[in-house]
Amino acid sequence: MDKLKQKKMEKTLSCNSSRRRFLQGLLATGALATMPIGLLQPMLAEAKELFSDADYQIFRNACPRNCFDSCSLKTFVKDGVVEFVEGSPESTYTAGGLCVKGYSYPRRVYSPDRIKYPMVQVGRGSGNWKRVSWEEAIDRIAQKILKIKELDGNLLGLGLDKYSGNFGITHYGVEGMMSSLGYTTRFAGTPCWPAGIDAQNYDMGDMWTNDPEDMVKSKYIIVWGGNPAWCSVHSMKYIYEARRKGAKLVVIDPVLTQTAAKADLYIRPHTSTDGALALGMARHLIDKGMVDQEFVSKHAVGFDAFKKYLKEKVSVEWAAAETGVSAAMIRHLAEEFATADPATIWIGYGMQRHANGGSMVRAIDALVAMTGNIGKEGGGARYGHLRTWGFNYNAMVMSPPEGSKGIVGGGPAKGDFHFGGDEATTYSNRNFNMNQAARDILAQKESPLRMLWVACRNPMSQNQNTALMKKAYDSIEAVVVVDQFFTKTVEQADIVLPHTTLFEEYNVNVGYWHYWMALNEQAIKPMYEAKSDVQIAALLSARMNKLAPGSCTFPLETDTRVWMEKEFNQGIHDLFGIKSWKDLKKGPKKAKLASSASWHDRKFKTPSGKYEFFSSLAAEHGHAALPEYRPKRAATAPLRVITPHSKFSLHSQFQNLDYMADFNPEPFVYVHPTTAAAKGIADGQQVRVFNSLGEVRLKARLTGNVPTQVLVMYEQWFKDSNFLVQKIIDDTPADMGAYKTGAPGTAVHDQFADIEKA
Amino acid sequence: MNDTQDQQQLQALRDFFFAQNAAQLSDAYAALDEAVSIDLPKVDDWEAVEFAFNRLFVGPKALIAPPFASVYLEPEPQVMGKSTLISRQIFEMLGVQSPWQGTLPDDHLSLELDACIRLSAVRQAGDSPEVEDLWSYFLQAHLDQWLPSWINRVRSAEQLPPAIHTVTDILAAWLADEMRDLKSTEPSIGL
Ligand code: SF4
Repeated sequence: MDKLKQKKMEKTLSCNSSRRRFLQGLLATGALATMPIGLLQPMLAEAKELFSDADYQIFRNACPRNCFDSCSLKTFVKDGVVEFVEGSPESTYTAGGLCVKGYSYPRRVYSPDRIKYPMVQVGRGSGNWKRVSWEEAIDRIAQKILKIKELDGNLLGLGLDKYSGNFGITHYGVEGMMSSLGYTTRFAGTPCWPAGIDAQNYDMGDMWTNDPEDMVKSKYIIVWGGNPAWCSVHSMKYIYEARRKGAKLVVIDPVLTQTAAKADLYIRPHTSTDGALALGMARHLIDKGMVDQEFVSKHAVGFDAFKKYLKEKVSVEWAAAETGVSAAMIRHLAEEFATADPATIWIGYGMQRHANGGSMVRAIDALVAMTGNIGKEGGGARYGHLRTWGFNYNAMVMSPPEGSKGIVGGGPAKGDFHFGGDEATTYSNRNFNMNQAARDILAQKESPLRMLWVACRNPMSQNQNTALMKKAYDSIEAVVVVDQFFTKTVEQADIVLPHTTLFEEYNVNVGYWHYWMALNEQAIKPMYEAKSDVQIAALLSARMNKLAPGSCTFPLETDTRVWMEKEFNQGIHDLFGIKSWKDLKKGPKKAKLASSASWHDRKFKTPSGKYEFFSSLAAEHGHAALPEYRPKRAATAPLRVITPHSKFSLHSQFQNLDYMADFNPEPFVYVHPTTAAAKGIADGQQVRVFNSLGEVRLKARLTGNVPTQVLVMYEQWFKDSNFLVQKIIDDTPADMGAYKTGAPGTAVHDQFADIEKA
Repeated sequence: MNDTQDQQQLQALRDFFFAQNAAQLSDAYAALDEAVSIDLPKVDDWEAVEFAFNRLFVGPKALIAPPFASVYLEPEPQVMGKSTLISRQIFEMLGVQSPWQGTLPDDHLSLELDACIRLSAVRQAGDSPEVEDLWSYFLQAHLDQWLPSWINRVRSAEQLPPAIHTVTDILAAWLADEMRDLKSTEPSIGL
């Protein structure tokens, strides 16, 4: 075909009327009458305008991936295809921009790697998969559930492992699905932020953070153990603006992060000694009399006891020896922080993922409190909040079928995002510790875990101690995983069900950092046979009731929009100043805040109603009543290992996309040149990082950005690689977390290993 | 090969690459066996073929050889690209559309083969230069631009069952034949 003809054909193809003319010509000749019946079907009358010359259709979406920024998106669709996404300009927080992960969303929907159909694996881990219909997949699942009930007389053998892979509110329908079947086993707790949540609850009675947008008012910002330049990129503009107005930015982190690179002052304490640094600063402020007397006397309890503790047990020199930060620097930092007004500390989640993490957060809270920075705009001990999460949890709150049996006297459910009320019931679910799931699964003798449902999680790549996890999975009779991509967990599944992306369902999203709410509209049809969690639950319910009437109470509604609508209530309407969810079609809305400062009225939710330097509740729970120093975990191997977040992924999501693979094709272990030299390791060399749990093999990258004696590997899942940092990370718990979230956090940065040339 | 055989072969190829399970694979294979003059390799274990087929074209793991044109035609490998819409446009010119429009990419190999079957039928029914142009365009500017890369990926897959190898070879041969026909009927450029 010559170029001219080809051009002409391309013109015909791209023009609605030319294509129609061509078709009319064919119809006139009668040639189409002979068309054989096949896969393609005669065009529907209403589909005559397949391609519109009109502009893009614009939809509202929300990034639901447990990211600080919980961005609102504008999605541009043409001919039923998502062409590109933008950040919503209506949100002053998202401010029209996304991060590299957000911009890659169309690649996520249209990646050829997506899981497309329900499939059954013949031999777990064999890679031998059969495609089945939804009906068959759901039938197998329903039959198995009924079998468990028959065998055990209850459904405790059915477990749910679900967390934050999708934070859209209707996804609590997965928990709802479990409740609608009966009393089951839940993986309680959170791998994310529990130690800090408990710490803030002991100190202030809740976790409540200032609006991040008010950081522009800060005169002094300490980012402590967090890396917003990678993990909360939208917050950086407020930090920059504050700096432009004269504020100082200090970053405290063992790793010279990208945020640290932008700081006025970077401080590198020894890993896991941040509590000592905060206490050393506090001691210095006592010595200098730089304490906000009004706050500590009027709005707090226990300051005298704290002061006494500091005088007796803490000195600046001790703190200097513990942390490796000079005494002069500790004094300087303390004085600058106490003098600036307002001053704030952003407490990163990384800092509390230590065996002494909760105690470190309490020490930092105390520093912010004693300088009078709590309850102040531009101040605050910033950690997170759940103040905008007052939805109905309509999909989550389901009653068990009549006659269901569970744990007797188990008490009410817990969890960071548990909003289901604390009503007492005769029976309850059985709780396993999400962060030590493998141990709990293997330890269970009565009603053993026979079937596991995994949603919004990838535990085989993200849970600690991969070998033990594998052993635990091997003990389970049936594993069902709902996901979008073939993760390490899907690899260990018997049945995988394809899940919709954010563009293929309705939802509503809020953040735990900012105060915005965003609508998530269905912008395109679900690709292949993907379904949303609530649709899957409805299918299962239908099948269960067919096989055993009354065995499941989940409603049969499959319209994700209906589920979304049912989440709204007057409280949400009032908080955000809307009349209906439809108002969100115009763009995201921000909660109406009396002040941008949390605790602005200094009415704390502690038992005393005040800020508690001395917390009897903490003591009751087995911790020190005061924010005392808790020594770091003893080393179990020569070098420390920390496993922070990468710029290109949210845990195990996003890195598998081709965009990310282009930028970040393989994992590295980052080693200080001095450490590397001692081991004879050159840059780029293949090494093994090992300890008693196992080993990982990867290339070394030498950099002074990490301290000597510390190895850094980002926790990521690379789709074509066997690298899993969790192979050498153990499940040692953090000190806190059980109080509010049902299980202690994980000490994933309190880890040890050795390194050598591979 | 006569036109009817040609159609039967294309239909069998289409059904093979659209199969959802071992039974459908085996049925399509049997139909192909009837349509072609060579003897196809005997298959003892259709389940093994099904597993391999899913690894190549279905999932759930990242596909070895995704059967979607745009993965090969776009500068970056994704489905529902601009080239996917070209298939949709060609279908529209033939008065048909995919019943899975918007859920299964229109440029799935089997949908494109189905369009070829239809286009061949239309060609046989009349003598229209426009239809001939559409045929050469679809083949030269579209199918021949991606199928060879796809075929290479299939052929170089590890532990490829002989059945899938052979079916792919038949598809490759069909494409080569059609391309040869087109070249022989076309005036060379510049005359
Ligand atoms: S990953 Fe975070 S920063 Fe990126 S688009 Fe999503 S919410 Fe926004």
